[in-house]
Amino acid sequence: MSANTYQLSQEDKKFVGLHIFFAVLALSIGTLFGPLQALEHSGLDLYPYLQPLFKSYYQGLTLHGVLNALVWTTFFITGFLTLVVIVGLKRELRYPKLNRVGFWTMVVGLVMAAIPILLNEASVLYTFYPPLKAHWAFYLGLTLVVVGSWIEGYGFFFTFAAWRKENPGVRSPFIALAAVITMGMWQIATLGVAAEILTMLLPWSLGLIEGTDPQLARTYFWFTGHPLVYFWLLPAYISWYGMLPKQAGGKLFSDSLGRFAFWLFFLLSVPLGFHHQYVDPGVPAGWKFLHALLTYSVFFPSMLTAFTVIASLEYAGRQNGGKGLLGWIRALPWNNPSVSAQLFAGILFFFGGISGLANASYNVNLVLHNTAWVPGHFHLTVASAVTLSFWGISYWLVPYITGKKLLNEKTATWANWLWFIGMIIFSNAMHVLGLLGAPRRTPLGLAPYIPEEWSGHLLRVGIGGSIMFIGAVLFVVTVARTAWSKKAEPAEVEVPVAEAIHDPQDTPQWLDAFKPWLIGTIALIIIAYGPQLVDQIANISLNAPGGKVW
Amino acid sequence: MSDKNQEFHPKGTLTILIIFVLTLILLWGSVYLILLNRGVTI
Repeated sequence: MSANTYQLSQEDKKFVGLHIFFAVLALSIGTLFGPLQALEHSGLDLYPYLQPLFKSYYQGLTLHGVLNALVWTTFFITGFLTLVVIVGLKRELRYPKLNRVGFWTMVVGLVMAAIPILLNEASVLYTFYPPLKAHWAFYLGLTLVVVGSWIEGYGFFFTFAAWRKENPGVRSPFIALAAVITMGMWQIATLGVAAEILTMLLPWSLGLIEGTDPQLARTYFWFTGHPLVYFWLLPAYISWYGMLPKQAGGKLFSDSLGRFAFWLFFLLSVPLGFHHQYVDPGVPAGWKFLHALLTYSVFFPSMLTAFTVIASLEYAGRQNGGKGLLGWIRALPWNNPSVSAQLFAGILFFFGGISGLANASYNVNLVLHNTAWVPGHFHLTVASAVTLSFWGISYWLVPYITGKKLLNEKTATWANWLWFIGMIIFSNAMHVLGLLGAPRRTPLGLAPYIPEEWSGHLLRVGIGGSIMFIGAVLFVVTVARTAWSKKAEPAEVEVPVAEAIHDPQDTPQWLDAFKPWLIGTIALIIIAYGPQLVDQIANISLNAPGGKVW
Repeated sequence: MSDKNQEFHPKGTLTILIIFVLTLILLWGSVYLILLNRGVTI
């Protein structure tokens, strides 16, 4: 029996669909502010025309970052992984009510965080560094979103454990294992931001303590902040490894390599946050160097992923009749918008990986730190590799949930192309501007002192951002019409689950066991973070009063 | 699972990864040169 014969119940389809609805809603609102930022950089500041609804560039940037980087991703991921766990294990959730509680906790948190942002009471950007001080409801809302995602994760763990009990000696299905690894990593990673909010930011915003320790807050934040990138990426990888090969007409090249890569991401995602703090004076150089080495170690599972996914695609292309060293690339089904979105995601990530390695390099980072290079880089990761992959998934997921044909493939294809082309223009300009010294998080259009050599690139930021925006509108229109238009025709859609070339049962047992990886992960985190956390907590200085500077 | 599947050698994949590594060295190196050109501050 192939893995794709299991069908979600109507209730579960509706449940997954609710996740996607909130995700796309967040993307729709968050993306509205993208061109406002980009056009502002090119000299066209539209924010004054949005008064009094939206007060400033920084309120818009906060909405853009929080809704796109945190909400769109988290809601999409929890919904997609719900489907992956159910379909992968071919069984219902062990405690469906638990997952419902988790989801609605996230929704309550989203509303609670959104209100102060919309009222300009939390324009602290998505990193919410103190001493910038937001309304307490913002911090509590974000906490509830994270707690809700934890609860949904518990639902996956219980379901996975039940499956293990029912299937002794059987290798767990790759996509389900990968989903559980992703949520396991997330549970560990978010302990940092939980500590930051619960011990400092929330009591501070409520007036219970007078100040914060910005250095410790940044350490807590980046304990979560970098693995957050893998929380975004791993679900995309689940699709690249476990679904895209089937859509492309082939099979997964190696089940074992896929599992090995996911376990290495589990092991290495967390203990490397200091590479975001290379210029922080409170972190000794030796610890920064250790985290730099650990950051470079993530290059290994990243290359394993690149090899396995591309090999799976090469296998598919050759099955489709592709010849020659690279002729198989043309034989991939580029006319399928779900496939092309994910191929574009991979191509853009090719460059995102390179700029990420430059960020991770201790010395080279000094050229790039806090410049426009950094948002240029993460638009190639979260806004390309992740977002375009989620678009690609949506092109079969929304039809699967609604039982309707995608309306239509042409607009979806245009959305992909426009996002791809716009991103090339936008991100290249941002990277070049960073190298020229342009700062990030700055309304450059307001500055009277911009060097002449920046101006052409700033214009490209505006052009690229605007093209991307049209692509995003087409994506939202496509999935919304599919879901709600009466013109959408009924269709039977299957979840694309790729078989592996080799029998997964041949996969070594150590790649299907949690205990050694969990012990290794905790040990590595204690080694990499323990002494510094002890030192920073022992020397905590809650002396930054903070305030509202916008 | 056929013998043909088991003998699959992803030569195109290795070519792409070699191109990736070369591009990585080139682009990373160009940023490193900018760092050096800005001078050493000790």
